[in-house]
Amino acid sequence: MPSDLAVRIEDLSIKYTINVDNKRTLKNAVMRASKGEKVRTRTVEAVKNLTLDVPHGAVLGIVGANGAGKSTLMRSIAGILPPTDGRVMVNGKVSTLLALGVGFNPALSGRDNIILGGLAAGLTRDEIEAKTEEIIDFAALSENFIDMPIRTYSSGMYSRVAFSVAIAMTPDILLLDEALSAGDATFKEKSFLKMRQMCDEARTIIIVSHAISSINSLCTDAIWLHKGQLIAKGKPEEITDQYLKFLNVGTLPSNLEDF
Amino acid sequence: MVNENNPGSGVATNIRVFEPHKASLPPLGPYLKEFWRRRIFAIELARFSDKAEYLGSRIGKVWLVLNPLLLAMVYYLLVAVLRSGANKGSGLETLAHILIGLFTFYFAQNCINDGAQSIVSGGRLILNQAFPLSLLPLSSIIRAFWQFVPTIPVYFIVIFIGKLFSPDANIEFITWNLLLVPFVVAGLVITSFGLALLFATMNVYFRDTGKFLTYLMRIWLYASPVLWLPSMLHGWHRAILYVNPLGPALSATSRIWVEGKTPTLAELVGCLAWALIAISFGGYIFISRERDFAVRI
Repeated sequence: MPSDLAVRIEDLSIKYTINVDNKRTLKNAVMRASKGEKVRTRTVEAVKNLTLDVPHGAVLGIVGANGAGKSTLMRSIAGILPPTDGRVMVNGKVSTLLALGVGFNPALSGRDNIILGGLAAGLTRDEIEAKTEEIIDFAALSENFIDMPIRTYSSGMYSRVAFSVAIAMTPDILLLDEALSAGDATFKEKSFLKMRQMCDEARTIIIVSHAISSINSLCTDAIWLHKGQLIAKGKPEEITDQYLKFLNVGTLPSNLEDF
Repeated sequence: MVNENNPGSGVATNIRVFEPHKASLPPLGPYLKEFWRRRIFAIELARFSDKAEYLGSRIGKVWLVLNPLLLAMVYYLLVAVLRSGANKGSGLETLAHILIGLFTFYFAQNCINDGAQSIVSGGRLILNQAFPLSLLPLSSIIRAFWQFVPTIPVYFIVIFIGKLFSPDANIEFITWNLLLVPFVVAGLVITSFGLALLFATMNVYFRDTGKFLTYLMRIWLYASPVLWLPSMLHGWHRAILYVNPLGPALSATSRIWVEGKTPTLAELVGCLAWALIAISFGGYIFISRERDFAVRI
């Protein structure tokens, strides 16, 4: 893997099988077996033959409709989902914000949750304690909310804490899923600045967002995924333009209609 | 997952490669290294879960000891009534046997029940981060262990008070055999961890495993030497003690804590054998399936 690359994805495919019957219980399994029925399953091809290089210092935006495979791709870069075929290579420390409220126990205070979140991300107790004040400052919760149980938080406050924990890990690669839509305008501005600063330090960010303006203003590159396939990659404006046209017209670029 | 250093750059970089593997084990070396490196997370998760559950409620923790204690009394009465005709000597030995047996059994039961739920209830954590998921059942084991420790002084106190009222009771547990307790407990911890891994995996695929476990644990209790003495079994019936993963540990516990005798070799070997079987089988099932969990929860 060339040293200037943060992420290299080679011919990646991810398939998984899901049960069609939503009640997956022992009782149903026994009932089905007694009737001689088989379990109805469906194979989902979430990512198909995707090849992509992300250099250090890039901010890559990923756009695509629901079910395009964006989250699956992010989780495979984070090492959460194994590839079915192909390979993912990641060079550097990864921090993720792929599901809000990670490691968070609603009965505990914001401060306790920050420590739990940091430990879950692989920091030592000392490392996370050293960062706690910085995280609290960045999240900038009003009054003494930080020592209140987080079940009392608004969803904006919740995601501000989650975002602050994710960036405080000083990752080489930051993976963000829809995190930008949370928080108010001031916090959004602040998080943009923080992310720009990360890029100046040659850190890499990969963002999944439905907010086209965020992708355009923040990213250096963008890709468009549709039904697990890479439709286009290039400059953010070009990609988001193509994507918006597709959303309005509902057709893929003519050379891609087979998909 | 493979960790390798980049030899050309002079700077140690951390390149990770993710490649397909499904129903087989990932490279065990890096897995166990990562498991060990993140053990603090499991401990802190146990501590924080405890804190969250008993926030502002000191009585909650007392209940953890009180519950098996009261149950032991109920079972003792039941056993005493049923055996009233054949009851020889003082009943304190029977109470001691039921008490230490229930405390020990409850530890294993808490490990299995909490461990079984740990993956399904860790949903968001699992969807956000790559880490050895076996840390979640481990955290349940740590919590169960912390809840088990205070029951030992309670046993001391009950027996001490009991002896005041029944001085002829033949309970001499303060012997050198207590030195074998860590071995038996370690065997039990490892066996319970293996079983927790197994049921945690099962719970991902069958969500009613928890309900099924309620019945299973009840039958398991009756099949274990808790309400009856291992010495009541003769001939081939003694096999019941050894086909039960918790059997050897429970009968060794009773021998040490009630009779003050050294556990038999069969009990000690049984403890060790079940620990190895449970951790290898449970560990294999769990680790070979765990990368599939993220799409199923």
